[in-house]
Amino acid sequence: MPLLEFKNVDYAYPSGDSDFIQALCAASLSVERGEFVALVGCNGSGKSTLARLANGLLLPDRGDVLVDGMTTVDKANLYEIRKKIGVVFQNPDNQMVTTIVEDDIAFGPENLGLPPAEIRERVDWALRCVGMSEHAKSGPFRLSGGQKQRIAIAGVLAIKPELMILDEATGMLDPDGRREVMEVVKRLNREEGRAVIMITHFMEEAAEADRIIILNGGKVVADGGRELFKTPEVFTTAGLDLPLPVRLSSALRARGIDVGNPINIDEFVAAAAARIKGEAIPQQIIDNNEKDGGAEEVGGQKDNALDTENAVEEENAEGAENADGEEGRDD
Amino acid sequence: MIKVERLSYVYSPKTPFTTQALFDVNLEISDGDFFGIIGSTGAGKSTLVSHFNALTRVQKKSGTVLVDDIDLSAKKLDFKKLRSKVGMVFQYPEHQLFDDTVEKDVRFGPKNLGASTEEQYALAKQAIELVGLDYDGIKDRSPFELSGGQKRRVALAGVIAMKPEVLILDEPTAGLDPVGKRDIMELIVRIKSVCPTVVMISHNMDEIARYCNKIAVMSRGRVVGVFTPRELFGSREKLEEGNVRLPLVTEIASRLCEVADIPHDVLTEDELLEAIVKAVENA
Amino acid sequence: MRDVTIGQYYPSGSLVHRADPRFKLIIMLLYLVMVFFCDSFFSFGFLTFFLIVTIIMSRVPPLKVLRGLRFIIIIVLITTVLMMIFYVDDGSEPLAEWGIFHIYLGGIYASIKLAWRLLLLILMPTLLTLTSTPTELCDGLESLLSPLKKLHFPVHELALIMSIALRLVPTLIEETDKIMNAQKARGAQFESKNPFKKIKAMLPVLIPLFVSSFRRADDLADAMDSRCYRGAKGRTRMNKLRCHIGDILALLAWCAIFVCILFLNYNWFGWEFITLLGV
Repeated sequence: MPLLEFKNVDYAYPSGDSDFIQALCAASLSVERGEFVALVGCNGSGKSTLARLANGLLLPDRGDVLVDGMTTVDKANLYEIRKKIGVVFQNPDNQMVTTIVEDDIAFGPENLGLPPAEIRERVDWALRCVGMSEHAKSGPFRLSGGQKQRIAIAGVLAIKPELMILDEATGMLDPDGRREVMEVVKRLNREEGRAVIMITHFMEEAAEADRIIILNGGKVVADGGRELFKTPEVFTTAGLDLPLPVRLSSALRARGIDVGNPINIDEFVAAAAARIKGEAIPQQIIDNNEKDGGAEEVGGQKDNALDTENAVEEENAEGAENADGEEGRDD
Repeated sequence: MIKVERLSYVYSPKTPFTTQALFDVNLEISDGDFFGIIGSTGAGKSTLVSHFNALTRVQKKSGTVLVDDIDLSAKKLDFKKLRSKVGMVFQYPEHQLFDDTVEKDVRFGPKNLGASTEEQYALAKQAIELVGLDYDGIKDRSPFELSGGQKRRVALAGVIAMKPEVLILDEPTAGLDPVGKRDIMELIVRIKSVCPTVVMISHNMDEIARYCNKIAVMSRGRVVGVFTPRELFGSREKLEEGNVRLPLVTEIASRLCEVADIPHDVLTEDELLEAIVKAVENA
Repeated sequence: MRDVTIGQYYPSGSLVHRADPRFKLIIMLLYLVMVFFCDSFFSFGFLTFFLIVTIIMSRVPPLKVLRGLRFIIIIVLITTVLMMIFYVDDGSEPLAEWGIFHIYLGGIYASIKLAWRLLLLILMPTLLTLTSTPTELCDGLESLLSPLKKLHFPVHELALIMSIALRLVPTLIEETDKIMNAQKARGAQFESKNPFKKIKAMLPVLIPLFVSSFRRADDLADAMDSRCYRGAKGRTRMNKLRCHIGDILALLAWCAIFVCILFLNYNWFGWEFITLLGV
């Protein structure tokens, strides 16, 4: 059973007096335990709505949101669902409940009704995980944005959720803060085995994930591993950039220079250097875009990935349509 | 022209808790510059630029700031004149929108400067059109029901309507998606045709490298130096001194130049592409 | 702006910090009552001595504590001066006079006592917030008020609201500052003598401030819900309040000080040395 599953979910929110904005439209996706998923899309594509639907802060107009088989529509499930899915939000200033870091991190476990000793243990553990132990007694005002966001992550982590959703958690940070948060998130996924959905429009961050889901105009227009970079149109029609290394390597290919399929700067430098020196490009960089290469597949995701190629083709057209629709509405 | 000489600034002076935000800053911004200011959070960038329209006053015996012929360290200042000359766009400017229609909000600045009603309307119309919005379609709408990108444009229009000669922008693209970022940067280039001098604080080195002709690097309250993009991003010492991150293209170039004949001070994607193509062909 | 001392915890791990917040709250109440019973310079000195002892025990730098006075010192000075020049003592000759203003010896004494009283009143609560986290204070209050729960009084919610308010007030002050600057940059002027105009001039600040406060409140509610908040139901605390023998001793000590102050004030047994001290 998938950890999180969206089945044909529609959601609209009111705007102005009588209008509605269709934030999500027949969105389907599923996330397994331990996965690292990047959910990308431009502003207004429905990303944040999706995060709020996932833990029952919002309820779908149509369709089902299932967490470990439990539907969010049933109020009785919400508590269990929120134990499994933690959400970190965008604004680092708006998530702290108290003025002392460790008290704030304790807020979640306290709500779970755990014995004091265990709460203490979890707080210390969560602080260690995000590398903020020495700030346990600080107030939020002397902390940088990146540090505050790490505290917010620790606050969610102390509940020990199986899936953490970071809703543009790096959106308001400076580059240093972004990197701090990204490091923590990667570590949580690799070492702690927590599933992560990273909602972002920084493509360099998305390239770190094992799987990328692209939202455009409330629709899932693509869902797959790194092979998605083979079809740059799915990104560009969704108003997204490709990561620089991907842009460069495809431009080089157009000029007859093949440097494989690097997706981050390290890989690009390695591949370009090899090409210039006339050496072989590391196999792993060439394999990046192959479905079974590079990224590790988890559980039932493989089937999922196999479908994507066709799905992408189809939904591409839809996505383009939708983008137009959205522009129309903006004006 | 903005001329800063020996400017220092201290927060909560004469208490045991003073923190010095600026140390002996010297800077000259010429008319027509697209002037970038970079540095990590807390380096004093915002404190410095807030001097330029006297939101932060020059402290006694702490240097001078000249905007054209206005001496900002003078005791009496003509704020109206200064603020019509220097426009300031803060981070997340859409958070300052307050009036019930877009047009009224945009007129707020000109009205405060004492423009006549007809002038106000004319300036608002010009500004709204300049930021790429449809004047008739948007003027009577509430700024609160617009999309994020539109709100930011309206906020920009509110400053442009004051016809500033210098526009100061504090991280104008923060929080926007890639398309939004590009749109706003293109918009700023367009604005530069009517407001010739632009000063921009940014953490985004790619934007800085691409748009600015001069870059001041700040670190811990000091200006480490003012450089052209190529001088700055081409010099490892300067970068390390100012603790500056490279634009991504420059980073790739500087790492490749160790193994191949690629210039290390590349600033755009096209330059990098050509350099790699050439290097491969030569090899 | 952000360093309003109240609500700024200063961790030093001292005895005072570790004390049970409930006892600290009770002692502070007791102390505030005591300040009103102080009448003579001796009793003020007596109480100040114990305040200083407590400050030293707390290992908070005295300057930090004094900083709590920064925003209030002007008010103290003004009231003191007013007291001094308007004090009328018919029984004695004024020391000096200018028109309607007279300075009497009694006036000087009274105004010094007033100033002293105000300072004592402010310093202890400041020390309390420097040595206790807002969470501790809220927990303490919640626990002290818990008998009211039987009357369906929302004690937990109240404590939570307090805690959140303490958390957000500095943020909102900072935000107000930012918005005011932004509007000033657009030529807004907030200085006006006409109060009606002044309020109107503040609208460009107040409206964005409200909008952002609501947004913050929404965000915070989402964050709390996401972290499994369900009200007081089934909730435990990391730091359970537990009173130690030291807390009880401290309370007893302060009760003894209270009795001494009462003695100094009322002199029930007509002891002569107290009358001598009683200026």
